[in-house]
Amino acid sequence: MGLLSDPSLSTHNKLVDNLAKHMRKLCYAFYTAGVVWFMCLALPEFNHGTYLSENALSPGLVYPEIRIDANRLAVQMLEELQRERKDHQATTPHAWILAKLNEFGLETHTHNYTLRYPFGGGKEFHGKNIYGILRAPRIGSTEGIVFSAPYRPPNSVHVDITPSVPVLLAFAEFARRKNYWAKDLIFLVTEQEQLGMQAWLEAYHDGDKEGDNSNSYLLAGNLPARAGSLQAALNIEVQDLEIDYIDVKIEGLNGKLPNLDMFNLVQRIMAREGVTSGYKQTPRKKRRSNFSTYEQNLRQMLAMLSTQSSGVPNGNHGLFHRYRIDALTISAAKRVTNSNVKSNPSSAAVPLLKAIEGIARSLNNLLERFHQSFFFYVIVHNDRYISIGDYMPALVALIACSFLKAYLTWSTLDVIERRPQQDGDVAEGYLGPAMQSMKLSLPYGVVLLYLALALFIGYVGNVLPLQKYFMELPLGAGPLTGSILVALNLIGLVLPFVVVLPAGGLELLHISLLLIYGCALIVIGLLNFSLGFFVAVLSVPMVVALNTGKMNRTLRGLTRLWTLLLNPLVVIYTIILIMSFYQFPELTFQQLLLRAASAAMDAVTFALIDSVIYGNWLYFAICTVFLPLWIICWTLALAKRSDNKISQTKLKAN
Amino acid sequence: MDSNRYKLLLLGGAVRLYFSNTSLASLIGNRVEFATPLNSFKRLQEGVFLLQQGVDPYGGDLVHESPLLLKALSGILLNYAQWLPILYILFDLCTATLLYLLSHTFVKQKLKQQQGECKDYAKDTEELQYSENDQFKIPELVLLAYLFNPLTILSCVGLTSTVLSNLLLALILYTMVKRQLFICVIVLAFETVRSLYPVVLIAPLLLIFARRSVGLSIAILMVFVTSCFAVAGANFLVMNSWNYLDGTLGFIFYFRDLQPNIGLFWYFFTEMFEHFRTMFLITFQLNATVLYLVPLSIKLRKEPLLLATVLIALMAVFRAYPSLGDVGFYLALLPLWRRCWKFMAHGFVVFTFFLITLSMMGALWHLWIYAGSANANFYFGATLAFSTGQIFLITDLLFAHVKRVFCLYNGQRILIDGEEARILLE
Repeated sequence: MGLLSDPSLSTHNKLVDNLAKHMRKLCYAFYTAGVVWFMCLALPEFNHGTYLSENALSPGLVYPEIRIDANRLAVQMLEELQRERKDHQATTPHAWILAKLNEFGLETHTHNYTLRYPFGGGKEFHGKNIYGILRAPRIGSTEGIVFSAPYRPPNSVHVDITPSVPVLLAFAEFARRKNYWAKDLIFLVTEQEQLGMQAWLEAYHDGDKEGDNSNSYLLAGNLPARAGSLQAALNIEVQDLEIDYIDVKIEGLNGKLPNLDMFNLVQRIMAREGVTSGYKQTPRKKRRSNFSTYEQNLRQMLAMLSTQSSGVPNGNHGLFHRYRIDALTISAAKRVTNSNVKSNPSSAAVPLLKAIEGIARSLNNLLERFHQSFFFYVIVHNDRYISIGDYMPALVALIACSFLKAYLTWSTLDVIERRPQQDGDVAEGYLGPAMQSMKLSLPYGVVLLYLALALFIGYVGNVLPLQKYFMELPLGAGPLTGSILVALNLIGLVLPFVVVLPAGGLELLHISLLLIYGCALIVIGLLNFSLGFFVAVLSVPMVVALNTGKMNRTLRGLTRLWTLLLNPLVVIYTIILIMSFYQFPELTFQQLLLRAASAAMDAVTFALIDSVIYGNWLYFAICTVFLPLWIICWTLALAKRSDNKISQTKLKAN
Repeated sequence: MDSNRYKLLLLGGAVRLYFSNTSLASLIGNRVEFATPLNSFKRLQEGVFLLQQGVDPYGGDLVHESPLLLKALSGILLNYAQWLPILYILFDLCTATLLYLLSHTFVKQKLKQQQGECKDYAKDTEELQYSENDQFKIPELVLLAYLFNPLTILSCVGLTSTVLSNLLLALILYTMVKRQLFICVIVLAFETVRSLYPVVLIAPLLLIFARRSVGLSIAILMVFVTSCFAVAGANFLVMNSWNYLDGTLGFIFYFRDLQPNIGLFWYFFTEMFEHFRTMFLITFQLNATVLYLVPLSIKLRKEPLLLATVLIALMAVFRAYPSLGDVGFYLALLPLWRRCWKFMAHGFVVFTFFLITLSMMGALWHLWIYAGSANANFYFGATLAFSTGQIFLITDLLFAHVKRVFCLYNGQRILIDGEEARILLE
């Protein structure tokens, strides 16, 4: 009980004093420990082999029944669809898909939605999804599974994935003839990438809202038919019927992941059908690398975290996560060189169809939603994972730095104040009465106001671009959002020069920054580990280096430079610059800078649109959390003091 | 000084009024951290509706407000529903004023007591004694701590009936300090019948009013019990049935609603085997009421108000359906013990604990309930840490008090063989 019932009379702890002397070293030790722990996670000793936790799934318990005729149907439909595509350069051949689904005897409906694009004076886009429901013969439409395929018109900029629709339809035709379904199957063809999926999901879950809500940008409309609560969803993207490998995409909105069981299920069944499949699978040539296992694992982890951290789903499956539906995308890549492997085109897609059937039948067995296995994990290798309990310590060690520093700074606040006036002639452990009230007389109100001001600047960045009068300006969304953000950052940059805090204010601001920063990172790390971790890795050393007291001049200059470099906008720009450097190596440096600038503008605009349409909170976090925190960091890095002695003495008199 | 007080009160009212007009109000009204089955506004509305329809509100398992208050509030809710937030704000301001007055009186009494004792005090202990200045400083701190604590603001904005409990508790404390025995006993009886746990406050009450005579304390006890019965009888007259007893006190004692909250009961009782329920129910309720009552009363017999503070704090930690509003209330009482603060070593740690756990609660609740990826264990972890933080605070306060009293008589610097002395607890 020593912690609670410390028998010492003075509250002045020598241990704390000693620790405070080595505060920076201690913090950097924690930081290193966190990063090293994270690196260690890639070692096989630190991660675990995947296993199926949900027994109801029992993958591969039944023999696949889908035969070559389904493949033949897919091939035939693909030919028909290709013919249709010649007439529909920019649109979806709705009629053809509808006719097919109807022909199979499914309950077929269309779903209309409208997007009111907020920028550039406002435009309206209309879209249409088609879905067919196969009613389960064994249950009264209380549960459903979704199989979806995105459709891309020929003029789309993305990779052609036309065969997804025939594969989906071929599977639908097969499934319709079976009587063992215990859940309704929904076969859904969406258009306009994620927008269609988002509209469909919104309409499915809260469709037909009363009154046209004028402040929602996506009018999802309503669905004529539903199939109960959705248990799981499988999104199918097929580039060609002849498959080289399958890439399983799992990252969803705001970094959410489907249950690990679902990923394992797909992996198991793909393996059984002899399809090469994996997480972040790449073509065979690329896979043949001479990296060690450790390095491969680490790369895999970092790749996963970087995809997750933006919070943008990398496939249509990601939007399901928002509604607690576990979903993933199987993305089949085209076989490029088939000189070695001669395959029969009439049976090429059979393994894929068998795999889809196997997944469907396992999902059909589910007695309740996925709940057994992990929802928080990092995939190290196709069959190895790290659970939350193992990777969280890395983040905790990083965040601990800021709390540790806050505690030590707070406990030594008196000591710092005492030193200048009484040169050590006071006995140790004794504080004069004047010192005691030091902490009470800190300018709490002013600091609180300053924090509120910083927060307000950030919050403005969140709401201002969406104001009516700004949107009506004849200005593109990119320049508009970009200029508003730059203006806000400039205000933040100038703020510490304009507002100078009273004595003691900087110290208090420092401590409150450390606390708020720590809490913000904890919350962000809980909601989206990757984002929290990357931000922590980047910014913790800077926050630890911040110092309001006496400091070497060059050191202070360096800290200021460091803080400037970590401005959210600068960081975004740098990331995009590096990305465009790798993407367009042929550009000259100047071209590259310009290109990155325009790309960064687009990026913030997309983030804003993502936040208002899909509910991605990255933009919100950057504006309302990171920008204010940066403003405070900048204030502390500048450390402008009001150098009047009067306030100092007044402070001591209190 | 007085104008300052009114300014603070006005500002506090304005802040509450502003937030009660934003979307925050309904959000807080639905948060489990603030609105428990006992105090949520939704359930009150349900009760009023049932009452209006002529259905016994306590027949179901939704309404747990005491009949007298339910009846009184139903009159307001049915006729002047739009004024209800204002009424709650006024209640909160009343609480703040009562706390202000009580601390003013308390410091005055302390000063008087000090004058009598000061010749026994050691020399260098001025900073441990209440000073003249404290008469104004401490009440102002109390006022600030109550009016501008986010916890109390939000619990007022969310229209939780914790606002009423806080008002009644403040009234009890105020009358205790002002030595108005009769009102004190009646209000205490009312609050006891309403929410059970305040019954422990009878200990500080007895210590204040009947310090030396056993006869007087028995008499006060009798009065208390009689007024409890009288309040129960009045409730019966309102409802014309005894159902409400099971709906209020029974509901608290048997812990029937396992809805998560910031307390320690819900997780334990969801996890436990059913046939151990009675035993653990009694254990937990003993822990929340009498377990600490006797030792604390003996130790703090000279400081009844500190006893009351600690008991209210323990109540807020261990009661069956605690809410953050309760926590906010006892935090506002801490400035009364400003002269102990010197020895409170964990203030900053506790503050950080509160900050971290409260922000984690929001995130984990979202992950558990909405995203479906986390589960009850995550959330319980956060609430457990929050309770631990509170225990830290209470223990810290108690130790600080012990050390202060010791130092007051023995001086602050005690050197044995040139080294700083340590107090040993034996």
